[in-house]
Amino acid sequence: MDQSTDESPDPIDESVIETNVADAATSDTARGPADTIVEARNVDVFYDDVQALDDISMSIPEQRVTAMVGPSGCGKSTFLRCINRMNDRIDAARVEGELRLREKNVYDDDVDPVALRRRVGMVFQTPNPFPKSIYDNVAYGLEIQGIDGDYDQLVEESLRRAALWDEVSDQLHESGLDLSGGQQQRLCIARAIAPDPEIVLMDEPASALDPVATSKIEDLITDLAEEYTVIIVTHNMQQAARISDKTAVFLTGGELVEFGDTEQVFQNPGSDRVEDYITGKFG
Amino acid sequence: MATDSRVIDGFGQVSQTAGTVFRYLLLFATLAGLIALTVLLLFVANDAIQPLTADPGWHLVFLLTLVVPTLSTVGYLLARARAALSVGVAALGLVVVSTMFAGGIAMILVDIIPPITWAGYVLTFAVPTVALLAARRAVDLPLLAWLPVAAVVYYASLLGIPGPLGSVVGLEQTVPSVAALFSSLSVLPADWLLLVVTFTLPVAAAVGSYVRPAGDRVAAAVGVGGVAVASAAALSSSTVGLTPVPATTLATLVVVPTSGYVCRTVLSRPRDRIGLALPAVVVGGSLLGAVLVRAFEFAGPQSWVDWQFLTSAHSRAAIDAGLYPAIGGSILLMVTVALFSFPLGVGAAVYLEEYAPNSRLARLIDVNISNLAGVPSVVYGLLGLGVFVRYFDQPSGTVLVGGATLALLILPIVIISSREALRSVPDDMRRASYGMGATRWQTVKNVVLPRSFSGILTGTILALGRAIGETAPLIMIGAPDVLFSLPTEFSAKVSAMPLQVFAWASLYATPEFYQRAVPAGVVVLVSVLLAMNSVAIVLRNRYQNEQ
Repeated sequence: MDQSTDESPDPIDESVIETNVADAATSDTARGPADTIVEARNVDVFYDDVQALDDISMSIPEQRVTAMVGPSGCGKSTFLRCINRMNDRIDAARVEGELRLREKNVYDDDVDPVALRRRVGMVFQTPNPFPKSIYDNVAYGLEIQGIDGDYDQLVEESLRRAALWDEVSDQLHESGLDLSGGQQQRLCIARAIAPDPEIVLMDEPASALDPVATSKIEDLITDLAEEYTVIIVTHNMQQAARISDKTAVFLTGGELVEFGDTEQVFQNPGSDRVEDYITGKFG
Repeated sequence: MATDSRVIDGFGQVSQTAGTVFRYLLLFATLAGLIALTVLLLFVANDAIQPLTADPGWHLVFLLTLVVPTLSTVGYLLARARAALSVGVAALGLVVVSTMFAGGIAMILVDIIPPITWAGYVLTFAVPTVALLAARRAVDLPLLAWLPVAAVVYYASLLGIPGPLGSVVGLEQTVPSVAALFSSLSVLPADWLLLVVTFTLPVAAAVGSYVRPAGDRVAAAVGVGGVAVASAAALSSSTVGLTPVPATTLATLVVVPTSGYVCRTVLSRPRDRIGLALPAVVVGGSLLGAVLVRAFEFAGPQSWVDWQFLTSAHSRAAIDAGLYPAIGGSILLMVTVALFSFPLGVGAAVYLEEYAPNSRLARLIDVNISNLAGVPSVVYGLLGLGVFVRYFDQPSGTVLVGGATLALLILPIVIISSREALRSVPDDMRRASYGMGATRWQTVKNVVLPRSFSGILTGTILALGRAIGETAPLIMIGAPDVLFSLPTEFSAKVSAMPLQVFAWASLYATPEFYQRAVPAGVVVLVSVLLAMNSVAIVLRNRYQNEQ
């Protein structure tokens, strides 16, 4: 991690990095049962009259990777967008039930979705960096959220956590759009984690990338779970099996058919439908 | 061979006759209007410039010094370095267009807004802005608390304390406005020095920042050099028969940007620098030709578009008539139209694209804005007459009324093209911003507007191009056909180029006016229009490269 010490002569930077490593180590050793951070209670989502999610209840643990899998149109991305209320942007969408983040229902009237999204970062399917410099992309969240601090240091730290620093440290002020697809997606991850959210939502973050870039993103997600709660939607069964601690299987009709520890869901699924889906008989 | 069924002679032919006919019909449709207009403009230009009245020697000199070298340079670049050719064309266009803009601005600075007044305006806004920025650093207050402070500071700077609000209740002016304070100074710097400080410095700074990617030191050199050149131009202006103010303006707007472009091209695109030969050949050839023509005493064409035409007012005798007040009027009208239509049009577009709920009312507004774009201009003239002249009791035919009327006319076009530009911002960008916890305002300000700005500007400039050619609304609001001096303030009567050309073709239509002055006026009008549109084209190309 400190390969590029010549790039960062500032001693403060290194101490920050070391604490990160230390944090990661302690949380690794103490990976007991995790607290619930997001809890869905009977969530229904409708787009006009079409029901996209049907009575979803689940508890998502803190500092773990939770994967949502299922065929196209099963509502897994819809569920993800409920957590940071990005569905609000769709006029036709209507949410019923309770979705609690740290015991607070995010659909309560007194919840400001903008404030909510500042605690829940999001990474999208296609890499979507702003047409700004790499530095400005990462600093965007810090600026709009009015976070104080040494931006140079925060930007570097976020890029390091997103495993991108070594590749871009000498071109911070060039456009983020000049990077490759995989680098752009890691830039988007750096941008999402820069303001230090509690949860990082990822909507098929590797589906537009080649296998090498995908494997880098997967390694990164595993690392991120040491500090953040990661909720990831994916099409790819193997990916879910590789990186997640918990897996939720959605099937057509917006039903949550199975939710549990990844190992158990994949090796010993509770229903035939899930087994058929996981083994590739349909979907 | 015929026995072997696996081998065939060919695949036969599929008839493409209908497709080919269709293709050439489409080509004709594409070119019909273009060719018709080009032919017309050639006739008009021939009437206005009368190239055949020149000595054969004059033609020969310019053929040898300008046409042949230019064509061979273009041919060489076409064959060897296409990219360099586009650099050369851009540099040449920059010289030509910036000269025209410099002429217009020099006209404003000489006859409408003297440099002292201009410097007063600049100070009026610069002083409170600098003061507020400094105060914001020193004192930490929420944004809402700053708004009234800023309002008061700008008010005081613009109007003094207590200003017109005080005079309503009978208070005496105690502190004059910044502009009044400035013009009451007993010792004022020379006009050109004021211009260098308030005009050349910002231009040089902007050009310097454009050059910066090619190197910090070059950028600084270009900036400092630009200021030096503008000052030198003022000091040495009398030797070429100019006064300091236009000389400084020309140096600032032509020399500084052109040298900036040249420096950046030479440094950051070394392979294309050969293209800069094109503007060098054209400018050098023209100068050389002019010197030779004078030396051999060859008479040039008896062009109607000459210095006299550009600088004098209407006259009963066509030979003495000119377009000067109309050119100035058109420039002032364009400034007014831009001031009105840009904020209103862009504001409406941003509201409709980013804020408006997807309701029936929004759709109704949507459809009707498109309808407004098609309303005949004479109707807008009637609207201007009814609203501004009759209802608001403004004097008829002024810059303000004319500008406001034309602004209403192009408002729907500005809105539609701005919406198009806003819509071209991918929704991915908005999602990314909202996902970061940005408010709508932050998303619009930081992501949507920067990304769509050049598109918005392109649409607005093209819409201004429509306004500059309008005649009917100006007639309706009672603008005079011809003026004998430039309008010097917003409440002065204004005439415009198309209006004066129309008057020459109708009221004063002697054969000479009709056959000579009108074509000359059209040539000037179309040139100004093309100069404006070229800015839009450059912006649009940049915009497309960014995508």
